[in-house]
Amino acid sequence: MSASQIPNLNTLRRGGGRGRFRGRGAADGSLSGGGHRPRGTTSKDRVVQGTDNDASVSRLSAVALGYLQDPFAKTVLGTEFETRRLPIINRGTYVRTTAIDRLVNQFLSQEPQTKKQIISLGAGTDTRAFRLFASQSPPNLIYHEIDFAVNTTAKIKFIHSTPTLQRALGIGRPGDATVSDTGDALHTDAYHLHPLDLRSLKRAPVTSDAPQADSRIYLRGVDTTLPTLLISECCLVYLSPSEAADVVGYFTETLFPGAGGKSNGDAAGGDTGRADSGTPVGLILYEPIRPNDAFGRTMVSNLATRGIHLQTLQQYASLAAQRRRLQEQGFSGGQAAADVDFIWKRWVSEEEKERVSGLEMLDEMEEWRLLAQHYCIAWGWREGSGGVFDGWRGLEEQPAD
Amino acid sequence: MGDLDRAIAQLRACRLIPETQVRELCYKARELLIEEGNVVCVDAPVTICGDIHGQFHDLMELFRVGGDVPDTNYLFMGDFVDRGFYSLESFLLLLCLKVRYPDRITLIRGNHESRQITTVYGFYDECIRKYGSANVWRYCCEVFDYLALGALVLGTSSELEPTGLAMNDSTQSTMPIDDVELETEVLNSKGEVTYSSYRPRQSASSDTSAENRNISPSGDIPSQAPLRTGAPGTGASGEGGGSYSSRTGAVLCVHGGLSPLIDTVDKIRLIDRKQEVPHEGAMCDLLWSDPDEIDGWGLSPRGAGFLFGGDIVKQFNYRNDLSLIARAHQLVMEGYKEMFDGGIVTVWSAPNYCYRCGNVASILELGEDTSNGGTVTRSNGDYGRSNGVMTGDKPGVRSPGRRYRVFEAAAQDTRGMPAKKPVADYFLPSQQAI
Repeated sequence: MSASQIPNLNTLRRGGGRGRFRGRGAADGSLSGGGHRPRGTTSKDRVVQGTDNDASVSRLSAVALGYLQDPFAKTVLGTEFETRRLPIINRGTYVRTTAIDRLVNQFLSQEPQTKKQIISLGAGTDTRAFRLFASQSPPNLIYHEIDFAVNTTAKIKFIHSTPTLQRALGIGRPGDATVSDTGDALHTDAYHLHPLDLRSLKRAPVTSDAPQADSRIYLRGVDTTLPTLLISECCLVYLSPSEAADVVGYFTETLFPGAGGKSNGDAAGGDTGRADSGTPVGLILYEPIRPNDAFGRTMVSNLATRGIHLQTLQQYASLAAQRRRLQEQGFSGGQAAADVDFIWKRWVSEEEKERVSGLEMLDEMEEWRLLAQHYCIAWGWREGSGGVFDGWRGLEEQPAD
Repeated sequence: MGDLDRAIAQLRACRLIPETQVRELCYKARELLIEEGNVVCVDAPVTICGDIHGQFHDLMELFRVGGDVPDTNYLFMGDFVDRGFYSLESFLLLLCLKVRYPDRITLIRGNHESRQITTVYGFYDECIRKYGSANVWRYCCEVFDYLALGALVLGTSSELEPTGLAMNDSTQSTMPIDDVELETEVLNSKGEVTYSSYRPRQSASSDTSAENRNISPSGDIPSQAPLRTGAPGTGASGEGGGSYSSRTGAVLCVHGGLSPLIDTVDKIRLIDRKQEVPHEGAMCDLLWSDPDEIDGWGLSPRGAGFLFGGDIVKQFNYRNDLSLIARAHQLVMEGYKEMFDGGIVTVWSAPNYCYRCGNVASILELGEDTSNGGTVTRSNGDYGRSNGVMTGDKPGVRSPGRRYRVFEAAAQDTRGMPAKKPVADYFLPSQQAI
């Protein structure tokens, strides 16, 4: 162990300290921003909508300091925002983003010749679609984002005013994209922005034996035959437990019915016939957990003072509860979960850890551990035919807590 | 003193003092601090405090729980600024108290008392926001450079005077009360005892090896230290005839911990401390290192300083006649944490750290040894805590009696949580005119 292994404190100077008049607080400890913002009318919903600015600011902060590479981070944010977060928040943003990227890439890289579909719930200003389409070998993919009209409208404005976003989406000429008269929906061949209150997506009544035709009107461009990945980054957690379950059920039962119309119990991991096993569907959840210890209680009460209520937090308070949820909601192929602390320790290579640690010095490790243990990523899948989720089997999950 | 007392009163009310007064205060503070050694000697009784981090209202709670200055003799182990919303009010108040009562309050440097760290973790921004320029930040940083790196508490008592306000009786001993002494006591913020532990009382037999400890020559006896031979941690003594050795050994207080470059307290004294905290080296380590359940030394996940194990602590305490190292630097949910058979303790004084961690805080009171028994204690092995520190040829030094006062965050509404509007902005207009 030589002194040269100690990162140079001078790296802290990058980005300077000039003219940043706002605190970088996020005193509620939110790695959470970026959720869905239900029913854009009430003041409560507006508060939740504000969490998306938190997320895009956090993303830009992490990008500006070198944690993440994302050329689109600054295209989806107004200029009036403070753009530097505390190191602990930057690290959280880094772990969250790279972990979900990894799950997404595992999904896309399996059977690469098969066209795939991603549906991002409460996507807000998320830039993942842009990053995927602008990558060197763009995947054969249809990408849907669902959010409230106020958020999709804002995103369409960003796309409208930013050539790099248009290029990423393959919008070169008029006609490559259609925007609704109300300015809140956008459709290209491969990218769809849906202005929608998620709570309007409900699973069809159990008596119905076929997908309802009108249930698909909401989601133009969804191909119900494609292997599909659902992503909820701090989105479903804002809904009530029954609403959240309904949204998932809408996809797993109504839009993408499982084998025999009901998916429960079919753990087809192998090569059962495609006709029998339904469309492969996976779900990635990122949300807070463990609300009942000292840190968790403080988090809940701090968020409450900002008017934010994470309604499913108590229901899915542990990694085990998240796994159970995935199992119960139709992801019979596999269910796994890990908190951000675990993912940092076990998914990030030593080399990469050293690089990230060298970007900014963490002044308090216990605080990081506490914070990171209160956010989790959970992933579950329903295999259907083929093995588009095979890549997920090799990912290390966290032993039961 | 009139101005100073007015400034103290104003800061106690969480109102800032004018920039010109800050400049004057910082100048006076530097004049005072420059006279202090790298390792300040402090006589017991003393109340040891850990990180404050700009949580002003919680600092007021600390004073409520621990007593006011100058009634209580305080030692703050750094990290006054950053993270909380009132770094300026907190640090300037402590600095005023230091200038007003220099013998009743000791401030040593934490890793956040640094230009580089404060630009990332909030103090710089707070200065800009509240004073409209970086001037006050600069004055404060100049003071940081003069803060001592550590302190040595001398003359502690091995036995606590019971507070007698037991909430429930959790006495750990069944021995007759005459044979035991109160070693540790934990009190809540109401002053109720929530835990206490006892150990066998030290017998008053004469100690044979006192002289053995006083062999190495050194002229480095701090003037503040009681005149005694072999003052712990000073590297020994020159007073050959003396036989009065410490009953308890000294307590070294430092913000972070030990350094592989520092094997004696004297080596800390050799550091040229009047500078920005370096990126590496002994001074950096003292402010950044952490104890950990390892053997020897390890790389710190913080990116500065090192991790050090129980064997390192044991050796260091033994070599320096220390009975305890008190340090801060690490959030502990219970407010304090003793490690390595009690060879080191972390004291954390920022409750609900960053307004989000949900932890309690504590301060550590060390009593004064009034017995003058003239003996060096030797642990009899019954109690791992006081015994584990010392093994080998030298007599064991007895650990001091330790009273932890645990407290919670000040009530939320008085704290002005992360209210969206910037705190204390009222101060800006008048300052912009200057």
